[in-house]
Amino acid sequence: MGIEVKHLYKSFDKKPILEDISFKVDDGKILSVVGFSGSGKSTVLKLISGLLEKDSGEIITTGGDIAMVFQYSALFDSLNVFDNISFALQERKDLRNKYTQKELEKIVAEKLELVGLSGIENKFPSELSGGMQKRVSFARAIVTEPKIILYDEPTAGLDPISSTLIEDYIVRLKNETNAASIVVTHQMSTIRRTADSVLMLYNGHAVFEGTPDELCKEETPYTRQFVEAALDGPMKMN
Amino acid sequence: MKVYYKATYTYKILRMFRTEFENFVQTLGNIVIYGLDFLKGLKNKPTTFREVMAQSARFGISSLPITLSIVGMTSVIIAMQVAGEMVKQGAGNYVGMLVAMLMVREEAVIMSGFAIISMIGSSLASEIATMKVTEQIDAITVLKVNPIHYLFTPRIIAGTIMMPIVVIIASLFGIIGGAVASNMASGLTFKAYFDSVWFGLNMHDLKVCIMKAVSFGFVISLISCACGMEAQDGAKGVGIATTKAVVWSFVAIVILDLIFAAACFY
Repeated sequence: MGIEVKHLYKSFDKKPILEDISFKVDDGKILSVVGFSGSGKSTVLKLISGLLEKDSGEIITTGGDIAMVFQYSALFDSLNVFDNISFALQERKDLRNKYTQKELEKIVAEKLELVGLSGIENKFPSELSGGMQKRVSFARAIVTEPKIILYDEPTAGLDPISSTLIEDYIVRLKNETNAASIVVTHQMSTIRRTADSVLMLYNGHAVFEGTPDELCKEETPYTRQFVEAALDGPMKMN
Repeated sequence: MKVYYKATYTYKILRMFRTEFENFVQTLGNIVIYGLDFLKGLKNKPTTFREVMAQSARFGISSLPITLSIVGMTSVIIAMQVAGEMVKQGAGNYVGMLVAMLMVREEAVIMSGFAIISMIGSSLASEIATMKVTEQIDAITVLKVNPIHYLFTPRIIAGTIMMPIVVIIASLFGIIGGAVASNMASGLTFKAYFDSVWFGLNMHDLKVCIMKAVSFGFVISLISCACGMEAQDGAKGVGIATTKAVVWSFVAIVILDLIFAAACFY
């Protein structure tokens, strides 16, 4: 089943951020959540991951772990790549004593190979490029074999080629793990390359839901403005 | 129109006081909640010996040079000011006692506290605040690791263990510094000085000194971690959290010192 969100509401200081948001993502599928800055996209991820508490509504998941890739990777800068990736396996109460050092090394090597970064276990995050940091954060996210992967603007701040690479890895991880994934993004390229379905938010409301093709063909003012990146339209920048 | 401006100004001041009071209550509440969470987590052994040792080295070794400098200079200043006069008045045999009492009862522990707040407390707060604003704490939470247990536990344990060690070393350093200064300022012999040291000290003083140091170490590390954890809004938030940690720690150890003085020496 993946994730099902029903009638989700969230407000901060009495200001509504999300109002009546519903969607569903099946296992092995990717939903792109798009919209302007401040439209509530990242809040959706934080509610699903448990970082925020919802005001009302339902978030139903298949169970198992939920992983999240943060906008600026959020790698632990005092730990090397090995300790970053194996963090949950070393520190989580239920996993702490489950693996030997050799097993940890094997798991980390496998995850690094999956994101195309073999042999960098001893490097620190500050020694890596933005794209490499992002891929290490992918490896850290999948180390517990999650059933749901959340990506918060995974291509933010990256050059176009690194963005393409990251998009390819998002699809690859989906295929490898069969996880239900949600990708928050502003980039049309990310939507076209990765998404099975798209949800567009504006001012906390869902204004479009469909496939990437439907988004491009849709003639409603919201979708046209977003796809064409037009300044004129119903969506006003704050 | 004049009345309107006065009312607005008064209202702004009152609102400012209200905001400050709310912030005070919120910070105090957070410190208590984090403290309870830390204690609750202890039974699960949430940290490793390696991590406690790393934090202990930070507390002890990093802070020792500055702590010894401050405590040493304080004792020298005290000895220089009183030794000459006491020798003149025929009370030279009590100089060591006076310096030792001041060091063990008050100066070493409070000066070490100030030094550790400035060096380690501020560094703990800014480290955790930076982790907070760069979403590293969120990442820890999503990975199903309790950030309070993971981050606070080794730091608070290290602070609680290392503070008494630092204070004992600082006390000895201060007493020796006093001996050198008394000798140079008034020609008081080392034998006369150290003979009188034992007059003034007893086990009660040492016990209170260690109890104070333990509580200071616990409170400084808890407040520093808690203030760091509450950081918001990027670099500015890190600065605010660090300042708050330093101010709250200073005030907390002075209040604790007062409580100890009233309970143990009054």
